[in-house]
Amino acid sequence: MKRKNFLIALTVCALTLPLAAKRLQVVTTYPYIANLVEHIGGERVKVHALAGGQWDPHTIMAKPSFIAKLRRADLLVINGAQLEIGWLPPLLNQANNPKVNVGSPGMLDLSRFVKLIDVPDSVSRAQGDIHPDGNPHYYLDPYNMLPLAEAIAAKLCALDRQGSGIYRRNLADFNGRLNVKLDEWRERMDPLRGSLVIEYHKNYDYLLRSYGLQLLGTVELLPGIPPTSKHIRDLEGKIAQAKVRLILQDIYNPDEAARHLSAKHGIPMIKLPHDVGAVREAEGIFSLFDEIVRRLRDE
Amino acid sequence: MKLKIIPVILLLAALAMTPRLSGQEGGGNPFAQAKFVPDISLILDTSFVIRDLDDEWFNMLWLPGFSRAGAAGRAAELDESNLEKGFNLNYAELSLASVVDPYFDLFAVFHLSQEGFDIEEAYFSTRRLPAGLQLRGGKFLSQFGRINGQHAHYWDFASAPLVQSAFFGGGGLGELGARLSWVAPLDVFLQLALEVLQGDNGMSFGRKGFELPDVSVADVQAPGLLVATAKSSFDAGNLTVLAGLSAAAGSSRHAPGLDDGDGTTAFAGSAAVFGADLTLKYLFDSTRYLSLQAEVMSRSSRGDRYDFDAVDGWLLRRQRGRQGGMYAQAVTRLNKRLRLGARLDLIWQNDVRLAGARQDLPGNLARYAAMGEWNPTEFSRLRLQYTYDRSRHAQVYGLWQREPVHELALQVNITIGAHGAHAF
Repeated sequence: MKRKNFLIALTVCALTLPLAAKRLQVVTTYPYIANLVEHIGGERVKVHALAGGQWDPHTIMAKPSFIAKLRRADLLVINGAQLEIGWLPPLLNQANNPKVNVGSPGMLDLSRFVKLIDVPDSVSRAQGDIHPDGNPHYYLDPYNMLPLAEAIAAKLCALDRQGSGIYRRNLADFNGRLNVKLDEWRERMDPLRGSLVIEYHKNYDYLLRSYGLQLLGTVELLPGIPPTSKHIRDLEGKIAQAKVRLILQDIYNPDEAARHLSAKHGIPMIKLPHDVGAVREAEGIFSLFDEIVRRLRDE
Repeated sequence: MKLKIIPVILLLAALAMTPRLSGQEGGGNPFAQAKFVPDISLILDTSFVIRDLDDEWFNMLWLPGFSRAGAAGRAAELDESNLEKGFNLNYAELSLASVVDPYFDLFAVFHLSQEGFDIEEAYFSTRRLPAGLQLRGGKFLSQFGRINGQHAHYWDFASAPLVQSAFFGGGGLGELGARLSWVAPLDVFLQLALEVLQGDNGMSFGRKGFELPDVSVADVQAPGLLVATAKSSFDAGNLTVLAGLSAAAGSSRHAPGLDDGDGTTAFAGSAAVFGADLTLKYLFDSTRYLSLQAEVMSRSSRGDRYDFDAVDGWLLRRQRGRQGGMYAQAVTRLNKRLRLGARLDLIWQNDVRLAGARQDLPGNLARYAAMGEWNPTEFSRLRLQYTYDRSRHAQVYGLWQREPVHELALQVNITIGAHGAHAF
């Protein structure tokens, strides 16, 4: 009898072993999400980010290789707020993977877990590439990492119950580490409170809000529409009447106009990473914000 | 397929208005369905064309061994756009797309022109088939090759590639049918698909039989066309490589009156078209890229050909054809707004044998095009394209005579509404 039980136990083990060994396949649209998932999922998940951190997140090229990645995903985590609208839908359509379709449990839209700002009352494309749901660059605010990490942990727990304990523990570790860093970043950013800045695209609005910086205007004319000389003259008119401390430039848009403003008005132009992998130093969520804060302070 | 256009437009306008009205009624209406309105978009394509040939004469020219149109409107068989000198309203394309329920998606494109209304595509596709499978049914553009599955407004040039027009016509291979596609569970992208199609494409295929005084050729049973495709892609750093192999095989029928203009030729047989395509796209940064794209296509056909002779009446001979060509193009995006491109079209094989005797058809049909585009946003595009066409011929006293055509087209393409992103 004992021997029989042992055999059954052995068989059950043998059958479940490959299942246990198979890690949850997670695909994310952007590298910052992949890094968050790695923090929470640890060894139990295998994460792949479709877009590279050095690219413009609005205009990622819909490479067919992404379809292969989506085809085998158990979970797809996206930024949402229409940031992926220009490239992800046709890929999902071709991936033939019902697990990660919109509305399936294997599709997680992170924008639902934060409060979006600049939600327009009315939308018209005369306003440029406007996002009807609000500014989608919420991930460039370190305070938003808390709800995002929680949302990811809850999703991983739902999809992989056996790992719940680990995910909860990893989330607690992440939150602990993040809270320490949030205090550090807040202290470092404090001297900039109240400063007036210009940015190329409305990439850093959430960051500015969290640390009390004011936005004077954008270098680009409208979202996604390059500056005209008239717009730059108008911006210079505003600069003349105010004390602008910094010009924030992302790494993927042309920087000629920002350079011109910087040289002419003696305002430092700072190139800021917008995602994990955008610059060499930004290897993960923590080093991304470390680097943003460092660059803002070291001007 | 041509319908009275006005009721259709009224219907669509009513459809488009519905959300606004119910939206205004707003929170009060417990039956409001505004949020379920599908994605609706309209694409306008209009152009100004300068050409060094009169429209009438241009319409008399054709590709020897390929065109099947009657004496008038031959150009329209090869292209749907930029047919007349001066202003053209090429199309206003209305598209509707939405998730249907957990099981299906629906997508439709209505091609509206001044001549009428055409359902370019209207198909459903499945959302939940297991094992990487997807089934599509209705009317759709075949995924044969690289360019056939793309709508005209997504093309890099104002015209379809010559070899594509020659084998499938200006509208491409778009048919009623069903498609089963499968994506392999591999790290490398590999997609296999099989399409079962009605087989009515006028240029290479066809099902309708015909009656001659002594002969009766029956209709081909539908479906009459099979298409199989294999596509694969991988990335090497910033370079993306996409390659595909395609085959289409089906019955072929040409009723008299369709070929050679004067109603003296008919054909009943079969045809097979093979294609290989390769795309290399290199990204320099978020906005700049260089894309090289080429497709080779070859067609073999065989069957019974009937020619009318004033003395002997209808004469039956065996016809065998081997025809092939390619296009190669380079397109570069220099900044967010500016794109430049050049394309070479060449049909180099034009071998048609009647009862074993090779016909004297020109075998070197070439066309050269260069374009420059200015895209204020992704919703509006201005394109200037110069084309030097050495493929079109006139038949003078039974001999083929090349008629070089110079053409300059300024094309404006505008999209409004909710239009889905494009695949690679």
